[in-house]
Amino acid sequence: MLSFIKKVQEKETGPEQESPRLGNGRESPPKPEVSRKILVVGKGETLDAEVMDYAVNLAERLGYDLIALSVNPTLGQKGRFFSPYKYHLREKFAQRARAAGEALKKKMALRGVNFEQVVKFGDLGKAVAAVNQQFKRIEFVITQDGVKEKEVNGEINIPVFRITGYQGERMMAKELDSRGIGLMGKTVGYGIAAAGLYAALFWNTDTVMHYFTKGSWYAALPIATVFVVSFVHGAFSNYLWEALGIQAPKRVQPRPTAAKRPVDRKRPRPQLRIDT
Amino acid sequence: MTDIAPEAVKFIDLSLTTIAFLFIVGFIGGLVSGFIGSGGAFVLTPGMMSLGVPGAVAVASNMCHKFPKALVGAYKRYKYGQVDIKLGLIMAASAGVGVQVGIMIQEWILKKWGEAGSNLYVSLSFVVILVIVGGYVFYDAWKTSKSGGEEKVTSLALWLQKINLPPMMHFKTANVYISMWFTIPIGFATGMLAATIAVGGFIGVPGMIYVLGASGLVASATELVIAFVMGFGGTVKWAINGMVDIRLTLIILAGSLLGVQLGAIGTTYVKEHMIKIVMGTIMLIVAVSRGLAVPKYLKQLGVISMEESTISLLMAASFIIMCIALGIGALIILGSMWKAKRAETAAEAALALDKSYS
Repeated sequence: MLSFIKKVQEKETGPEQESPRLGNGRESPPKPEVSRKILVVGKGETLDAEVMDYAVNLAERLGYDLIALSVNPTLGQKGRFFSPYKYHLREKFAQRARAAGEALKKKMALRGVNFEQVVKFGDLGKAVAAVNQQFKRIEFVITQDGVKEKEVNGEINIPVFRITGYQGERMMAKELDSRGIGLMGKTVGYGIAAAGLYAALFWNTDTVMHYFTKGSWYAALPIATVFVVSFVHGAFSNYLWEALGIQAPKRVQPRPTAAKRPVDRKRPRPQLRIDT
Repeated sequence: MTDIAPEAVKFIDLSLTTIAFLFIVGFIGGLVSGFIGSGGAFVLTPGMMSLGVPGAVAVASNMCHKFPKALVGAYKRYKYGQVDIKLGLIMAASAGVGVQVGIMIQEWILKKWGEAGSNLYVSLSFVVILVIVGGYVFYDAWKTSKSGGEEKVTSLALWLQKINLPPMMHFKTANVYISMWFTIPIGFATGMLAATIAVGGFIGVPGMIYVLGASGLVASATELVIAFVMGFGGTVKWAINGMVDIRLTLIILAGSLLGVQLGAIGTTYVKEHMIKIVMGTIMLIVAVSRGLAVPKYLKQLGVISMEESTISLLMAASFIIMCIALGIGALIILGSMWKAKRAETAAEAALALDKSYS
């Protein structure tokens, strides 16, 4: 049992060995510039989708890396004794969080965002401090509901932003609207309008052809017609493809902001030197 | 001007087959042009003529469907941030001049060598330009796909961008800073080719990529702006003469507006060099098709002798190969979209599975 406790203690005291690190961690040959990072903190195994969405968009726009930190405060070790059951729960928590993290990582890679998942137990402030120590240059923290700023700032001072549930709800409602009934209604509506337009023109083919081919100023007729058709039928086909689930993935635009980012400058840092 | 119309124009009766043919070709043509910026016209115009539509009406009706299609495609791709409007408008303006010069050359050849000579000129331009440009586009796409799909700006474009010949222009979306004097000739050549073989994009898009240094994505999207401006101008001219058969236009448009949007969506799924692959493939196959038509005109000019049955066989083969060119282009687009979409769905499914834990 003693060795078991020791193992757990090691885990807590040595976060560098436990958590995965970013590509430019300490062991790899040192790079001159450490990329800036956003830390997303949550208390569950997985982080809220809307909070993650927000953070990813932000990271993409700013060209930052993203670290997701799942902390479970209840499974932290208080005294010297640590129950095997709690140990089992810890393993389970970490396993699930990592599985979600792996999937997220793949998705982030598609959008060009470096992503790392870290799992910690115990005090939130300590966990954030440990992550900050390990990864360096965390610019700010985004938390989800249920995480207080005080908890995060227990050990170090770092700006903390919170995404409330309200925004998430609004976001989801909007998505439902554009994909659900609204989309179907638009597709059908524009479809009927386009069909009506075609029917009207082909019903009276003789009259239409008589006037449309008269030439000179009557040239405006066919031109105006195709403009109207291109609007109505164009809108219909746009909604039709969307309704069929064929639409551009969100990553379409190459990020011009990333290219225009000012060159990272080396900040002079105070260094300890021996005066010789 | 108006008095030409009544005697020259014979509008055909529509049958179900005609409608189906125009709709399907319209859709596939739209798909291809939404993806590579141009295409479809080279099948539609001869296709309509083979249905008995007089040449002028076929050209006019095709042009009248081309500009709204280009408009819808350009708008869609503008929303994806791929269209450089400034570049498109400058190219279109110089293309307008190119069209006029192209028509003048055509008329001069027509006067000197008659219709067969003019047709021969058109076919030979097709073959020469498509083989050279299409071959290069295809070679470049093949090279890119071998080196891992990373597109590089040609050294020619980089060299031209360094030359400071005022007025210098900055094209933001294309991310190109280049003298106006290098932009205009590309537009001019686009217009001349459009007047000759009806598909200016076969010069315009490669020109923007290899000479100006725009990416395949931006070049093909910007081509739609050029197609809109040129198609609109051409349509006004033809409509004033009363040549537009609005029924044909609308049927083609019904298919092509569906297609052009699908093609535009397709560009956001696939790797960038796919645009070049599709374009190069189509250009090379069309070149073969037009090459088969050359003996007919040579015979009409009395340069070679050949049996009539062989000639008609060659012409049929030429048209079928042309359709195949468009079909293969469409298949590559749909195939690569399908593959990309499946990969994305799989990634999303994995994510959803992991999320369902909590």
